[in-house]
Amino acid sequence: MRFKIDELEVLFPYPRVYPEQYAYMCDLKRTLDAGGHCVLEMPSGTGKTVSLLSLIVAYQMASAEKRKLIYCSRTMSEIEKALAELRGLMKYRTQELGYEEEFRGLGLTSRKNLCLHPTVKREKSGTIVDAKCRSLTAGFVKEKKERGEDVEICVYHDNLDLLEPHNLIPPGVWTFDGMLKYGEQQKQCPYFTARRMMPYCNVIIYSYHYLLDPKIAERVSKEFSKDCIVVFDEAHNIDNVCIESLSIDLTEDALRKATRGANNLERKITEMKSTDAEKLQNEYAKLVEGLRAADEARDENAFMANPALPDDLLKEAVPGNIRRAEHFVAFLKRFVEYLKTRMKVLHVISETPPSFLSHLKELTFIERKPLRFCAERLTSLVRTLELTNIEDYQPLQEVATFATLIATYETGFLLILEPFESATATVPNPILHFTCLDAAIAIKPVFERFSSVIVTSGTLSPLDMYPRMLNFNTVVQESFTMTLTRKSFLPMIVDRGSDQNQITSQFEHRNDGPVIRNFGNLLIEFCKLTPDGVVVFFPSYLYMESIISQWQGMGVLDTVWKYKLILVETPDAQETSLALETFRTACNNGRGAVLLCVARGKVSEGIDFDHHYGRTVINMGVPYQYTESRILKARLEFLRETYRIKEADFLSFDAMRHAAQCLGRVIRGKDDYGIMVLADKRFGKKITQLPKWIQMALETKNTKLSVDQAVSHAKAFLREMSVPWSRTEQEGHSSWSIQDLERHLAKKKAEAIGGTENPGMRAAEGRAERPTVVAVEDDEFGGAGMDEVMAGLDG
Amino acid sequence: MSRAASRAPGANKRLAEDGGASQSFLSSSLRKLSLQQSQQHDPQSASRPADSSSDICNVCKSSRYLNPNMRFLVNPECYHKMCESCVDRIFTHGPAPCPIAGCNKTLRKAKFRTQTFEDLKIEREVDIRRRVAKAMNKEESDFERLIDYNNYLETVEEITWNLILRIDVDETERKLRLWEDAQKAELNPNATFRRIADQPEASQLSEGSHVVLKKGGTQRKALAASSGNTPDPFAVDESGKRDTGFVFQGLKKRKAPPAEKPFDPFDGWSIEPQQYTLQEVHDYKWLTAYDSDPAYYVGGWDTRDYYSRMMEEAFGGMCVFLEDEKVRPLGSGSVEIGTQNAASVAQGMKDVVMDDVF
Repeated sequence: MRFKIDELEVLFPYPRVYPEQYAYMCDLKRTLDAGGHCVLEMPSGTGKTVSLLSLIVAYQMASAEKRKLIYCSRTMSEIEKALAELRGLMKYRTQELGYEEEFRGLGLTSRKNLCLHPTVKREKSGTIVDAKCRSLTAGFVKEKKERGEDVEICVYHDNLDLLEPHNLIPPGVWTFDGMLKYGEQQKQCPYFTARRMMPYCNVIIYSYHYLLDPKIAERVSKEFSKDCIVVFDEAHNIDNVCIESLSIDLTEDALRKATRGANNLERKITEMKSTDAEKLQNEYAKLVEGLRAADEARDENAFMANPALPDDLLKEAVPGNIRRAEHFVAFLKRFVEYLKTRMKVLHVISETPPSFLSHLKELTFIERKPLRFCAERLTSLVRTLELTNIEDYQPLQEVATFATLIATYETGFLLILEPFESATATVPNPILHFTCLDAAIAIKPVFERFSSVIVTSGTLSPLDMYPRMLNFNTVVQESFTMTLTRKSFLPMIVDRGSDQNQITSQFEHRNDGPVIRNFGNLLIEFCKLTPDGVVVFFPSYLYMESIISQWQGMGVLDTVWKYKLILVETPDAQETSLALETFRTACNNGRGAVLLCVARGKVSEGIDFDHHYGRTVINMGVPYQYTESRILKARLEFLRETYRIKEADFLSFDAMRHAAQCLGRVIRGKDDYGIMVLADKRFGKKITQLPKWIQMALETKNTKLSVDQAVSHAKAFLREMSVPWSRTEQEGHSSWSIQDLERHLAKKKAEAIGGTENPGMRAAEGRAERPTVVAVEDDEFGGAGMDEVMAGLDG
Repeated sequence: MSRAASRAPGANKRLAEDGGASQSFLSSSLRKLSLQQSQQHDPQSASRPADSSSDICNVCKSSRYLNPNMRFLVNPECYHKMCESCVDRIFTHGPAPCPIAGCNKTLRKAKFRTQTFEDLKIEREVDIRRRVAKAMNKEESDFERLIDYNNYLETVEEITWNLILRIDVDETERKLRLWEDAQKAELNPNATFRRIADQPEASQLSEGSHVVLKKGGTQRKALAASSGNTPDPFAVDESGKRDTGFVFQGLKKRKAPPAEKPFDPFDGWSIEPQQYTLQEVHDYKWLTAYDSDPAYYVGGWDTRDYYSRMMEEAFGGMCVFLEDEKVRPLGSGSVEIGTQNAASVAQGMKDVVMDDVF
């Protein structure tokens, strides 16, 4: 359907639009017009991606400057889904407009997924594929070939050079499959096609990491102009991605390998000195001039990644004492030896970067400045030596990255050395964690560089937490709900068992007999009444294991076994995927199954349990993080001191976003239905931290239930759901045709003339506000409570 | 805390302390959350090569298996590792040659220490670096341009490398010493000048004789040879410059601080009379009589005080021009004219004549 938002004509590839989709698009447009960042929360399964794409494409096509869209998603399957949506949208536009627009949409993923080379693509591991590909496509390999040496090269890659550099692939939207097919047909490399065509694309869809991980972003996403529109979809975990991209863990084993790598480098240098000393001399001459001049060819051929370096540093020349290759290798060796020495300590150490640096200087005479250049210098050296087996130097690279990071950032990082794996271990297995505490560091360049960054997901509550944690300002913050004709999902909080004993996963009580029995009863009852799939989430693997073994003793599992097949998630990805497959089969033909999994595991993040795969989801306990972790403690302290986020607030926020993520797994659309059970007495106080759409469906009468009450509610709900229902019922209310939309607009206009902001109108658009509560809607973002906390801190 | 901890002597100590209470609470499950990919276990890393080799003393062949509290020590002369009891046994009665075959260095007990780094090469390198860093301690701000500083750093690195790889050790050492002395001379000129004046070859002599006492035979010869052709560190070559061992471009000239003046409580302000000159003796009969009168001079009364008081009162406030005061509030404008006049007056006549200066 075609409709207008303000003056912008939007082509929406479906005949009907949901009210919340319309409102979402309005807010998006507002953000783009204002030129700022925004945070939007909309339930999963309400067509977030398609609304995003159709509005932004319409916006691009209408405006003269054609702002590029960078759409970042989390997983490969989500990227593919988005590409398919975009393809559908463009097809629809062509059909509606009657002509084909000049448009390119590409997706980018790792070499492993896009390789066509017959031997390389057979490799299992991504890093090996990367390394092999580099050894076939590097610039010096080609030079050697031209010189007539007998070296292997990749035909697919070389064919690209024969094409026009800005027209490697015809316009259109290319899914990964399409790219692979086209590449096979034309004998050209899909990966490099995508990489090289990125500057000429209208839409780019790729993973977060290409933008957030400074090591990759530097090379992949460097040339995007400032006016790009950046979208982070499924962004509820974005802070963790940021932190992980700048954190490094070093083990003794890694250090040993790094030493080996350094020794190899030394040997190579000696070799090269005897055969091709000129090359080293050239490199040296370039380094005397400055670092950036040394590698103006920083394109996809760059070998290794470098962490974020400030620009002024890159313009500076490499310090004299690491200018010569052999000096630099000795420098690295010394640094690694120092780290080894530190690893010998038998108690836990946590240290700030400045303290580390001063001790380092005292012991080994390594200054801060050459340390900062470490990663960049190593890259240059590796390139000069024309090394092909990069994977051998991975640990050394890690150490160099660590060196650069620790010398670059003074705050926001912490060094934690843990000599023992667990509290009871007696054999030391030290790990040096260099942890980033500040999520804002990694994402800062993104917010600074791009004028519009859109952060969106199904679960972002409380909305103001993200701007605070990531340190940016928004122009629009909005939470949307799902407009529903019938109540298609039933959230419930169960806080006690039928015996009136509490249900909780609190540490003091979690192993009490009655608590475990009540959890067991809950599971039994819901397995009895639920048709098809049941998904159960536990706070941790440890707790899941202990509770399952106790259930075995109590006979709970035997009872469940009568109704459902029992499957368990394990940390092993392959086992889990097998379990999932079995689960689906069982749901498709049988009485269904119950999947026991962990709230922070793979299942809770990426797997959808739509329709009959998930009719009931049970959260057994609040999925708090493991609070004894030193890294977490350090981060909490940092958050409190820097962003004034209280420890308890953050922990609770983090637990609730994971809980909400788990609950969201079962509702994947408007015609889906399901029961959501939050089984812990502590959930009662955390209702406000749930996403708005769950909060609105959670009636007060469903908040303090015992197991038997919950069972009766659930039975009534399922009976209601079994009434025949067709999609036509939701028309005009939770799904608009063009006429409905026009009617709504006319009404809105009339209201606007009247001059009153009508909460009913907001509700009709699916904006998250309760029609009954008019003024006190600030709490929508959980902001009021937070402000009080802040006031308390000030006082 | 961390600093002290990291100095813990290393692998040796570890096994001994294994029983100690650990404080780590990190569960294995959490570690899986961390970025680190699963660590592959190759057979080489499973066994600890460094530990196994360091478990047996090369001198007495006793192993840590029998004596878990064994400590290993090294001497920075030759970096041969031996256990603590061997050190006690061999070196308690004064310097002795290193017991490792083929190493003829004479070692002293006091110099033995536990090693900081697992790799003895690094241990030695760091010692050399400590030595070099003591002499070569320029900073970026000491240079005019960044590239000069970088060149300096590279030279320093080369010196270190020469010492590490034992290339031209004597020559490098000589240069280093020259440089050190030159630096010292620059920083504290008085100290070195005195030394030259008093005992021109003091540094050389003491250095040489001192070393010879300690070193073994072969070294003694080498040293004698090297010190023979070592030129006087303060010799001035033809161009008039002193040999400083190294020459670095772009090094900012060190400005010697200006010589300190004697303390002046008035900070340059003079209380000398400016409009007139006091003479030693004024020939007034009625006054000179007092000079020789014990009744006056015994009490400390001096006619000169009388003159100066009188003159001050007579000239007080004179030669102060209002206009000049306005322009130059410090009031030195009129003074010059007044002084000149006063000077000319003083020259012309014996006594101050109250000439109209205006």
